[in-house]
Amino acid sequence: MNNIKIKSKNLNVYYGDKQALFDVNLDLNEKEVTALIGPSGCGKSTFIRCINRMNDVIDICKVTGNIEMDGMNINDKDLDVVSLRERVGMVFQKPNPFPKSIYDNISYGPKIHGKGETKSELDQIVENSLKKSALWEEVKDRLDEPGTSLSGGQQQRLCIARAISVNPEVILMDEPCSALDPIATAKIEELIDELKKTYTIVIVTHSMAQAVRVSQKTGFFHLGKLIEVGKTEKIFKNPDNKMTQDYITGRFG
Amino acid sequence: MTKEERLKKRHRAEKRFRFYGLTSILVALLFVVILVQNIFSKGSSAFKKTVITTEIFFDQELLEIKNGASEEDIMEADFYDLMIENLIKAYPAKDRDEEDELLKLFSGDAEIEIKKAFLKDNNLIGKIITLDLTASDDIDQLHKGNYPRDLPEERRRISDFQLVIYDYFVENKKISKNFNNYFFNNGDSRDPELAGIGGALVGSFYSILICLLLAFPVAVLASIYLEEFAPKNKITDFIEININNLAAVPSIVYGLLALQILLATIQLPRSTPLVAGITLALMTLPRIIIPCRASLKAVPPSIREGALAVGASKFQSVFHHVVPLALPGTLSGTIIGLAQALGETAPLILIGMVAFVVDIPSSPVDPSSSLPVQVYLWSESAERGFVEKTSATIMMLLSFLIVMNFIAVYLRQKFEKRWN
Repeated sequence: MNNIKIKSKNLNVYYGDKQALFDVNLDLNEKEVTALIGPSGCGKSTFIRCINRMNDVIDICKVTGNIEMDGMNINDKDLDVVSLRERVGMVFQKPNPFPKSIYDNISYGPKIHGKGETKSELDQIVENSLKKSALWEEVKDRLDEPGTSLSGGQQQRLCIARAISVNPEVILMDEPCSALDPIATAKIEELIDELKKTYTIVIVTHSMAQAVRVSQKTGFFHLGKLIEVGKTEKIFKNPDNKMTQDYITGRFG
Repeated sequence: MTKEERLKKRHRAEKRFRFYGLTSILVALLFVVILVQNIFSKGSSAFKKTVITTEIFFDQELLEIKNGASEEDIMEADFYDLMIENLIKAYPAKDRDEEDELLKLFSGDAEIEIKKAFLKDNNLIGKIITLDLTASDDIDQLHKGNYPRDLPEERRRISDFQLVIYDYFVENKKISKNFNNYFFNNGDSRDPELAGIGGALVGSFYSILICLLLAFPVAVLASIYLEEFAPKNKITDFIEININNLAAVPSIVYGLLALQILLATIQLPRSTPLVAGITLALMTLPRIIIPCRASLKAVPPSIREGALAVGASKFQSVFHHVVPLALPGTLSGTIIGLAQALGETAPLILIGMVAFVVDIPSSPVDPSSSLPVQVYLWSESAERGFVEKTSATIMMLLSFLIVMNFIAVYLRQKFEKRWN
């Protein structure tokens, strides 16, 4: 069993008057993939957006309770979100490369964090990130082409490379394959398998099969509540909760 | 109603709509064509001026300067007698009255034109040269065919005898049309043949420059702050509503504001491009903020999130990603705002730019005119020569507007980036 990287205790999230998360207690293990499943609007994305404080962007969003990474309170008002997000990267549902060159897409993060002072250091970071995201072979000869000219699957791997470029500890993935075809999806899943050796990964997914394939731990959310969490095998073979059973067998959701 | 009937009805409705649309486009086009045709037919002759080819003998006796005189001496010298002596030789006039009528065929600047020829070459004394001297407005209009010569003499500005001289000039090919450099180089004048838009052009240029320098940075920063940083609450809602309202305030109100605050209270010099630029900047500000905010809004949130997620601060996400993407829209909005400001007349009239200014302004604090105000001024003048000048000024103004709008469209299309 790996160490616990992120620990949430009685986490509540409100969007204005509407409560989106109810007392979520969820532990994420280091260098492991945790999948979050559940029907749309159940709070999975809201939960992972608490980990890198992306909810700050939404004015009416209020977060209470505790969420810790390595004992550090993420929800602390005085916490510097910039250094938090340097440690917790994120990949979004729709690939969102910057409308800049492939090179600039990846070098942007290191540049603003003062990593890679010289051109050759930056080159090295770009190459490593692209290699880790299994994109290097496909794009190494056209690094100055716009990132938006790549195919959807390549764009998503570019976004993963961008997340990796600042060398985070945790990578959050919000339905990273929902806009991709099966082949591109398979590539990303393969990549996730490889990445978990270095990073702690949380992935939100609508595909049970994907959760089974990539994750070691699965949490099932319903209507803002964490219904059940456990080893992926157990959740999918022998869940404790009736609702989990119904959801994974496709009876609702 | 059967299914078939319903289907037919739907097709008919579609056809009707298409017909309405086409008709309105055609009507709009027709008006544009009529307008442009009208302006062109009236204005195009203003780009030419009528000149009378005259022999000038630089008689030493009539001049108090010598060959090789310095520029200063030439400027101070009196060329009046020399001019008279030469011009009356252009036609064999019998007496003093006829000579007077002959002299009236030339513009009031004939003396200066002769002086300029001497300035160019100060060794002309004792020599004869031929010069193209500008004709008076009456002859100019007559030669361009804008003036009816078949009216009875007492209703004409040109006497029968002058017509005789004119015909003599035409017969001897002494009268011709040249490019009208005065129209571009001169300031305003009471004489139509000498009046030009030089002063108005420079005045408009300074005004728009000041307007740009003031309005662009303020508008862009205000839009960025309102769109990206300001909290969404009642105060910002109130500000937003007021910006939209300000954009719709009649421009003359800004003129009144400038009159009270800039001229009466701060006592800035009246009739100057400085005041015009500040007034136009106030007026243009909301008109730039609105498209600016729209183009910031058009940048997808995913770009902001992408930047924030790699640890960019709010400021970095805005200035590294959002603003560069919004820039084409911002610039084209600014140019269109400036184009509107360029054509604005009412506020400038209130701050005294209708004053009759002959000199071309050399700085933004010199009294000046501006293109639309020049149109307004000349359209009120009685002389025929100003009719074509009015239209020609409108043509210049329109071509500036077209060029500016073209640049705006070009910028938007060339640099607008697509995201996904």
